[in-house]
Formats: sequence, structure tokens, C-alpha cells
Amino acid sequence: MGAAFHDASLLQQMLIGALLGLSVYLPLSCGQLSLATPGFYAIGGTTAALLSTRVPALGGGDPTYPLSSVMLEMAVAALVSGLLALGIGKLVLRLRGIYLAIATIALVEILRVTTLNQEALGGAVGIFGIPQPFNNPGGYAAFTLVVLALICWLFARLEDNRTGRAMAAIRDDELAAACQGIDTAQTKLLAFVFSALVAAITGVISAHFFNSWNARLGNFDASITTRAFVVFGGSRTWLGPVVGGLLLTALPELLRPVGDLRLIVFGLVILVGPLLAPQGLVTPERLQGLGRSLQGLRRAPGGGEPTEALDPGPR
Amino acid sequence: MLTKARLIVLLSSLLGTPLLLSSCGADRSGSAPVQLSEGVPVGAVLALSGNANVYGQDQRLGLNLALAARNADGGINGTPMRLAIEDSGSDDPGANNAMTLQINRGMLVVIGPTLSQQAFSADPIAQRRGMPVVAPSNTAMGIPQIGHFISRVSAASDVIAPLSIAKAMERNPGIQRAAVFYAQDDAYSTAETAVFQKALAAKGLKPVTVQRTQLADNDFQNQISATLALKPDLIVLSLQGVDGGNLVRQLRELGYAGPIVVGNGMNTPNIYPICQKYCDGLLIAQAYSPELATSANRAFVKAFIANQARSGQGPVIPPQLTAQAYAALQVVGEALQRLDKRTPLKGLSVSAARKALMDEILGGTYQTPLGEIRFTPEGEVIQKDFFVAQVRMDPNGKSGRFMLLK
Repeated sequence: MGAAFHDASLLQQMLIGALLGLSVYLPLSCGQLSLATPGFYAIGGTTAALLSTRVPALGGGDPTYPLSSVMLEMAVAALVSGLLALGIGKLVLRLRGIYLAIATIALVEILRVTTLNQEALGGAVGIFGIPQPFNNPGGYAAFTLVVLALICWLFARLEDNRTGRAMAAIRDDELAAACQGIDTAQTKLLAFVFSALVAAITGVISAHFFNSWNARLGNFDASITTRAFVVFGGSRTWLGPVVGGLLLTALPELLRPVGDLRLIVFGLVILVGPLLAPQGLVTPERLQGLGRSLQGLRRAPGGGEPTEALDPGPR
Repeated sequence: MLTKARLIVLLSSLLGTPLLLSSCGADRSGSAPVQLSEGVPVGAVLALSGNANVYGQDQRLGLNLALAARNADGGINGTPMRLAIEDSGSDDPGANNAMTLQINRGMLVVIGPTLSQQAFSADPIAQRRGMPVVAPSNTAMGIPQIGHFISRVSAASDVIAPLSIAKAMERNPGIQRAAVFYAQDDAYSTAETAVFQKALAAKGLKPVTVQRTQLADNDFQNQISATLALKPDLIVLSLQGVDGGNLVRQLRELGYAGPIVVGNGMNTPNIYPICQKYCDGLLIAQAYSPELATSANRAFVKAFIANQARSGQGPVIPPQLTAQAYAALQVVGEALQRLDKRTPLKGLSVSAARKALMDEILGGTYQTPLGEIRFTPEGEVIQKDFFVAQVRMDPNGKSGRFMLLK
């Protein structure tokens, strides 16, 4: 188990899981059940794979691929998927609930089948030999950690400002939110587009990290897996999908000592998680409880009563 | 209340700690001496779960048989060989993880991964970190070209697949209307169908139809009806075991009686339970024949049959995947033995042992169940014998065998 965990490549995959979790979470935080994340993830991955293997100028002269080119790929991928999300979002966001989910599944399928049938996009074999900006997984993990921290910071800011509150209001009751003067269509579209940007940027990182990219990496299975990150981690605060993505990506690897049964155990965990914590592992209430107990601990060395400090406080 | 900013700091530091730990010890695995206390460490990365799991199971058996044979024969000059098999799932990230795990554990060589698609993803990691890879079943073009450390004992599909087309034409010279099926979302299928279609074109046959299916499909009624309307007299399939087995069954049920040529994906007795009596007559080119009369193959077949009698299940005739996996471990064992005689493994660092082992693997000639094999300097296998076989099902429709066609 130790060998698996101390390996930065697992950490890197966990971070990718967390980013994808955030991408699914965003539309959900304004009540929209969108499963489009793998579609935009695939756009990001394919863009990075194409640009880095077909455009020699991006590679510079170095054996390691320049980071500035990765940034450029991110910008291109974000632009492409942002524009697509804008166009498609205007149409499909008129749908609600399960109908929106179905429309977004269709989007994922259309992108997948298009990729499979276009030799230029790699076809079924995919694109391989993607150049590496880092020589070891540690470099990837450090870079992705910075990206994740930045996006988490944006999410934290978002939840505190007017747009974030508008999203929460739409989630709780769209009609009431509209009556209060919130432009619900605009807010939902914003969430959808931002979600697409996060997914596309994650795709760019993944394509380099995986060495190869193919259409199966962004299929319907991925829709369900990324959705599970949010269900498992919790969908009331941005920390939920992050925790869910980290945990559920790591679990199959950490369970390797179990041997042949590991996927069965993994399935059981996914099943039992929502049964025991229907709101997900991380909820605002639990965070507040944790915050209070941490604050208590900090006060303790400064002369506070130790017994009081250990009291988690009323829930 | 805990502020959001503090939460981010907390989260980053939580994640950063293992990162720091790992980057400190990143290449510790390479410079450490080879760990021989539990045996000579050899790793494998097989698809034991996911949609390729039937292949992985066949391969695991072959590796275990070869391991038993090597260790019964004194291991690596007295030290037993230790085999650690890791599951790659059937996808790229799974294969990457399993490969990295084997590298970090200080294995000297990795046998695998099962699928070519996984190899394109995981092998560059091995190449970068100087880990020898012997692929037992990758047939796509370009695998040994990934780098110096990547080799394979499985002949590429462009060498093998055309043989079955030639055999079908030889048996039915009147063939004029060939129909082709392949799974368009699968790397192996799309690569092999290109080889098949080229071989057909070389015989002057332009396919009357090329039908695309999906790996996860089970119902092929539409494609089959469209095809049968064109009255084909040869059908060529590049499909994996499960979808291919189902397609064959439905082809026969819907009345197609002509010859069917299948590719390497259906080169496993695991198709018998799927197409049952309808498997009968399938033509397939193989890199292995159980009927090859060499002492290496007889020993392998004997060990296989004894093992199946003990476990009381599965086929009694070894599949190609099992033989190739056996050959891969045999190659590794013999190369390790030669290396250890020349430079004892005991004094070597892991990375030095890996490098020397790769040269030793490529330099040898091996008498395996596949016949005599060698390698090109690039790591591509040079195999002497190929075979075309026909599936013969027993009257009960439950079991059968690949009968060698002379």
C-alpha cells in the first residue's frame, strides 16, 4: 500500500479526479444535472494531443516539452470548449433535470463517435507519443496541484459573491430565484461554460500525463464515474467533489493488496458511501463542526481550558 | 468558522506532503541494489479485470506455468524467480498505474501489458525509466518502436493475419465477394482490419461491404441483414472474443453458411461458450499451434494439461495467449540466467541490472513453445513458424479445438 501511495503518479490521477469532480459540481451547484464533463475533457485531451504531436514549433528544441506550450494548449482547449459550451448551453439549458442529463450524454456520444470516425483526430487507435513537459510524475503533480489550488480559490471566491449566491438560489428554487430578479438563464449558462473550461484544462494535463489519448478516455463511463465523485464527496460545497475525486480515484489503487476482490470492494464502498452519508462526505454542516473544533484546538495553547478545547461544540 | 482561504492552505499542504515525500524518493528504486531476498523480482501487468479480462486470465496461467518450470529447474542459477502480477484493468490509466508500481517496486523486467492500446500508454513510462518490457500479446504495429526497452514475443498482425486470408482463398478459390466487420472503437480491431483489407486487396478482392460495430455491442442483426443482402461468400472479422463470438453466432443463425476468417482477438478457447456449435469452421492464423512437435512445446502442453486436470476446469488445449505468456517468461528467465552467470545480479544496482538484462534479452535465441524465436535489435520478434487453424467443435457444442490446417 505504501508503494502505491508514495507514488506521485497516483497523486496526479487523484488531482485529475478532483478537477473533474469540480467540473461536474459546477452545473450541479445551480441545480443542473449535466453529464457533459467527459465531452469537454475529451476536447481538451484531443486538442493537446493534436497540437503537441502535429505542431513541431510548439516543442521548441528541448527534450522536455516547454511548459509555455502546455499553457498555450490550455488556452486553445479552453477557447474551443468554451465556445462550444456557450453555443450548446444556450440550447440545452432550456431542458431540466433528466432531460438535460440525456442531452448532455448525447453530446458526449457525438464527440466520441466523431473522434472515432476521423482519422485526423486519432480514430480508435488514438494519438500516442505525446511529448512530456515533466520528466517524472512529481512534476505533473506539482503543476496540477497549483492548477487545482487556483481553481479551488476561484470556487471559494465564487461561493461568497453575488453569482455564487445566485447559483445557490437557483439550486434551491429556480422560480423563486427568477422572481427575485436573478437572470437564471445567464447564471446557468455561466456555470455550464465555466464547467467546460475546467474539464478542458484537465484534459490538456491528462493527455500529456497519459502519453496517449483516445476516444475511450472521454466516454459515457467517465460521465458516471465523475458524477460519482460528486455524489460521494458531497454537492453542497466545492470541497465535496474535490474530496470525492481524490478518494474515489485513489481507492482502486489502495485496494490492490485485496487482490482479485478489489473492484468488488470498491463497488461496495461506492454503494455504502451514499447510504451512510446521503449528502456526501463533505457537507457545510460538517465543515462548520470541523472549523469549530479546529478553532478550539488553536485557542487551547493560549491559556484556554483544555477540556473545553476538546469539546467539538454543539452540532 | 474555518475560512475558505485557510481551507485551501490546509488542503494544499495535505496533498503536498506525500508529493514531497515521493519526490525525495523518486528514483531511489533505480540506484538501490537488486532485492534478491525473496527471489529474483520479475513483474507482470495483465488485464485481469475489465473487458479484456479473458485474455489476462489465459496469460496469468502461462506465466505461472513458466515460473513453475523455471523454479523447478533451479531458478536463476539457484535463486528462485519471484513473479508479481498486477492488474491493469482494461484501460490506459490502470496500465500506467500498474507499470509505475512495478518500476517503483524494483522489478527487473515487466511482462505485459495485455492490450496494444495499454502498451502505447504505459510503455513510454517504462522506456523513460529504463525498465525492460517484454510484451506477450501486443500485435499492433509500432510497439517495439516505442523505444529500446520495449520488446515483444507476439508477432505483429501484419505478419500473421494475411495467412488466414490466403488459406481461405486456397480452400475456396471461387471466392469473389468478401465482407468485412470490425469494432470501430477498438485499437486492435481497427489496426487489424486494415491489414485484412490490404490482404484482400492484394488478392484482387474489394470488400462488398465494411461493417462497423462497437466493442460493447451484442446485437448485430442490422449489420448482418445488410451484409447478407449483398450475398458475400467470405466474411472477415476483426473483433474481440465476446462481441466476435456473438456476431459469429448471429451470422450462422441468420443463415450465412460460407467461410469465416477471424483475427487474433478471437484466438482463445474462451469464445467456445459464446458461439458454441456455431464456432465450428472458423479460420484463424496463429502464432502458436499446440500440435507443434518440439520438446519445448511438448513440455509446455504437458504442464498445461496437468494443471487443467488439477483445477478441473477450462480448456484442455493451451490457447495462444497462454503459450505466448509462457514464452515471454521463459525468455526473461533464460536471459536472467545468462546475465547472472556473466555479472552476478547480487552486486548490481536495479537500473544497471535492468539495462544489462535488456541487452541480454535481445541478444539470445530461445526454444519456446512458439518454436524458435529471436529479436531484432529494435525488440521485434523473429519467429520461424506460423500456423493457420480451423475451429472444430465437439458434437455437444461445448468444447472444441483449433485444428491445425496443413
